[in-house]
Amino acid sequence: MTSQAELDKLIRGDYAAGFISAIESDTLPPGLNEDVIRFISGKKGEPEWLLAWRLEAYKKWLAMPLPTWAHLDHPPLDFDEVSYYSAPKSMADRPQSLDEVDPELLRTYEKLGIPLHEQEMLAGVAVDAVFDSVSVGTTFKAKLLEAGVIFCSISEAVHEYPELIKPYLGSVVPQGDNFYAALNSAVFSDGSFVYIPKGVRCPMELSTYFRINEAKTGQFERTLIVADEGSYVSYLEGCTAPMRDENQLHAAVVELVALPGAQIKYSTVQNWYPGDENGKGGIYNFVTKRGVAHENSKISWTQVETGSAITWKYPSVILRGDNAVGEFYSVALTRHMQQADTGTKMIHLGKNTTSTIISKGISAGRSSNTYRGLVRISPRAENARNFTQCDSLLLGDTCGAHTFPYIESRNPSAMIEHEATTSKVSDDQLFLCRNRGIDPEKAVSMIVNGFCKEVFKELPMEFAVEAGKLLEVSLEGAVG
Amino acid sequence: MTDAVTSTAQRAAARPAPVAEPLAHKLAAQALSLAEQAAAQSDALSAWRQAALAQLAALPFPSKKTEQWKYTSLMALDAGHLTAQAPDQAPSQTLPEPLAPWRLVLINGRYHAELSQLPPQGVTLTRLDGSAEAPLEAPLSVAEDGLRTPFAWLNSAALQDGLLLTVADGVALDAPIEVLLLGSAEAASHCHTRLRLQLGAGSRATLIERYIGQGPVLTNAVTELVTGDNSDLVHYRLQAEAADTLHIGSLILVPGRDSRATSFQLMQGNALRRNDVRVLMAHSGASASLNGIFVGRGNTHTDNQICIEHRVPHAVSDQLFKGMAGDKARLVFNGRIHIFAGAKGTNAELSNKNLLLSPGAEVDTKPELEIYNDDVKCSHGTTCGQLDAQALFYLRSRGIAEPEAKRMLAFGFVNELLAALPDAAVAEWARPWLESALTEAAQA
Repeated sequence: MTSQAELDKLIRGDYAAGFISAIESDTLPPGLNEDVIRFISGKKGEPEWLLAWRLEAYKKWLAMPLPTWAHLDHPPLDFDEVSYYSAPKSMADRPQSLDEVDPELLRTYEKLGIPLHEQEMLAGVAVDAVFDSVSVGTTFKAKLLEAGVIFCSISEAVHEYPELIKPYLGSVVPQGDNFYAALNSAVFSDGSFVYIPKGVRCPMELSTYFRINEAKTGQFERTLIVADEGSYVSYLEGCTAPMRDENQLHAAVVELVALPGAQIKYSTVQNWYPGDENGKGGIYNFVTKRGVAHENSKISWTQVETGSAITWKYPSVILRGDNAVGEFYSVALTRHMQQADTGTKMIHLGKNTTSTIISKGISAGRSSNTYRGLVRISPRAENARNFTQCDSLLLGDTCGAHTFPYIESRNPSAMIEHEATTSKVSDDQLFLCRNRGIDPEKAVSMIVNGFCKEVFKELPMEFAVEAGKLLEVSLEGAVG
Repeated sequence: MTDAVTSTAQRAAARPAPVAEPLAHKLAAQALSLAEQAAAQSDALSAWRQAALAQLAALPFPSKKTEQWKYTSLMALDAGHLTAQAPDQAPSQTLPEPLAPWRLVLINGRYHAELSQLPPQGVTLTRLDGSAEAPLEAPLSVAEDGLRTPFAWLNSAALQDGLLLTVADGVALDAPIEVLLLGSAEAASHCHTRLRLQLGAGSRATLIERYIGQGPVLTNAVTELVTGDNSDLVHYRLQAEAADTLHIGSLILVPGRDSRATSFQLMQGNALRRNDVRVLMAHSGASASLNGIFVGRGNTHTDNQICIEHRVPHAVSDQLFKGMAGDKARLVFNGRIHIFAGAKGTNAELSNKNLLLSPGAEVDTKPELEIYNDDVKCSHGTTCGQLDAQALFYLRSRGIAEPEAKRMLAFGFVNELLAALPDAAVAEWARPWLESALTEAAQA
């Protein structure tokens, strides 16, 4: 068995992506009022209807109480200490190609291991890289356009494809849906827009990397993906942020629309700064993700959550059409003082709808890891089917693992199964590995990887590698 | 750009003042006035009443927005149950056959000695009616750490009568003690029932709590079970009141060191049924097993909230609850397992299985785990479905009519629990009870 000191060192594992790049930013002073929203909207040259939409959201947000139901404990947030707009200064004139992009910015990506130039050649992945709030460079656009796929920043889409934005923006997550979604609707900075035309299988996996870079800047992403009838798209979202002490607020909204027969696969690897071992700093991550699945369509969420001081995130599927399929695969890892309250909602409205929920929670240090889910079967949802499995792994006796699944069935023909287990790393498995000369860290890493395998196999290749690496860094020494 | 107006200021101005829910507000006022009247009396129970009143006044009354009452509305109490007390009367009906040689009878919360057969030697019966000369040890319902529901506080605050059964150390009873609790009234009214059982070290006892009655009477029941070291307890809670009654019950169980406690709850839905069960695993080596069958009929509502707290190392708990909802019945189940940081070596399991027998029925279930220790084995499972179509087809192909086939399969669904009932008298009672409950549930 390794010494306690070694274990501690491994658990503490410094944040590898923690650096700050010095780029001048055009940032608003902290605070929020209608003028700030007008400023954001004006800066982007948005049409009048969108400004009105934002202001309506703001009014709703003002009247909403701060939600307190989650199993999270954090100091009260002061929304007037957050700056609501930040754009890299050199972005005033949009660069037409990567050559025009601030070299400092490109170096930042290189440090993160995602050099755009190389990405272009690698694995056919198009990258819509978001640096703070403005889209910096979009690759493979031409190739995608050839297939008829639209993949651009949402600000761009507002100008170029208003006929697609107008009916769908807020159709899945309305302005007043919840506190953080309302805030996002009022001040959203940028994000991605994807449209896959009828019957098109998107020729490559779409990917966006986010970075939060400006101290005390909230990042309010808004992503909208519309998959038209019979189309298919796989979308990858990955994040990492520099190390700093201020708590950074992040309130994103992701809306997915799967029209009849469409398939959307949305994968996330989230590795934002989780704060240090005493809970100082770290990102506060309040995300609303939801998809509407029409007849015969499928929406699949896969997430690997290892970062953020606070994670508040429930990717959901509304199974509106008959035979729709919803899936949720999640690995959530917390350590130090991290707190995660995450899970999913599967709302079965159509007949023969099926949903699968696989959630793996791993807690170490003094962290708290909560699965919170809802499976609701409406009276119309004949023959609906749900299977849920939530497993928790505890590493150490100072962390917590919790499960709060809500199950509501109003149709007798529906079949719902839910099971959850909580345990530590099995001594038997550990013994077996050590027996064969595998050192304890490696053994735990193997066991934890096995524990998460069901979820990892759902990830696209590029992500599966990153996810495995992420777990390795933070976990393997946590057995005592 | 002006930055004079901040969102914080605007939020404060725009947010509507919190609106107290009219119903919760009304019921809280009724409960408080009830408790205040009772607390004005001066007798041996005064201290309890005062303590409970203070808690009741401080606790927010449940409303639709209270998480633990998410699925249960107290709308049924709007008829004024809390404003009138159910009369203390002799039973208008003949009492059912006893299930045990010793039976204590409470009618609308009042003990009736003339109808009761006193338990044998080794068991002391104390009435909690204020007549005791020495001050009594405070019950768990009043303790800070006991039952923490508003209705349990209300019960303590308005306490008029109740029973305390004490089984002496080393006494092993060879037959059960039955407590028959009859609630009946013509008009909307309420009664508070109170029962406490204390088992001495090394003792063994079986307690049958049996609730019967009819009419729009709200029974607000509190039962406390505290067992001694190395004791054995079998507890039954049979709730077979008519569909028009209301029942809000609170049960607390604290098993002693190295003791064994088994509880069976058999219940039918009624106009409003709510059970808050709290089990404190506060002594190492204790094991607790909770089992239940719920049958929802007609337009009834059944809400079970079960919470097991493992506070010390090496205690074991398991739970098995099966629900069947027919017609327009609603079954709510919340099973919570809470493992404290120091509770190493805990094993805790929960299983909740539900059948929906008709299209209008609803099941809402939430098994919860809250765990602060890694050296534990915890699991929960829950299912929700209907009778197996293939099994049904098989029976029908053998010439068994559909209603009968369904009844057989429903029996099969809960049979493992029926078969596990340790006392023959209860098992004999349970089969016909389930039969009639299922018949009622099948009626649309």
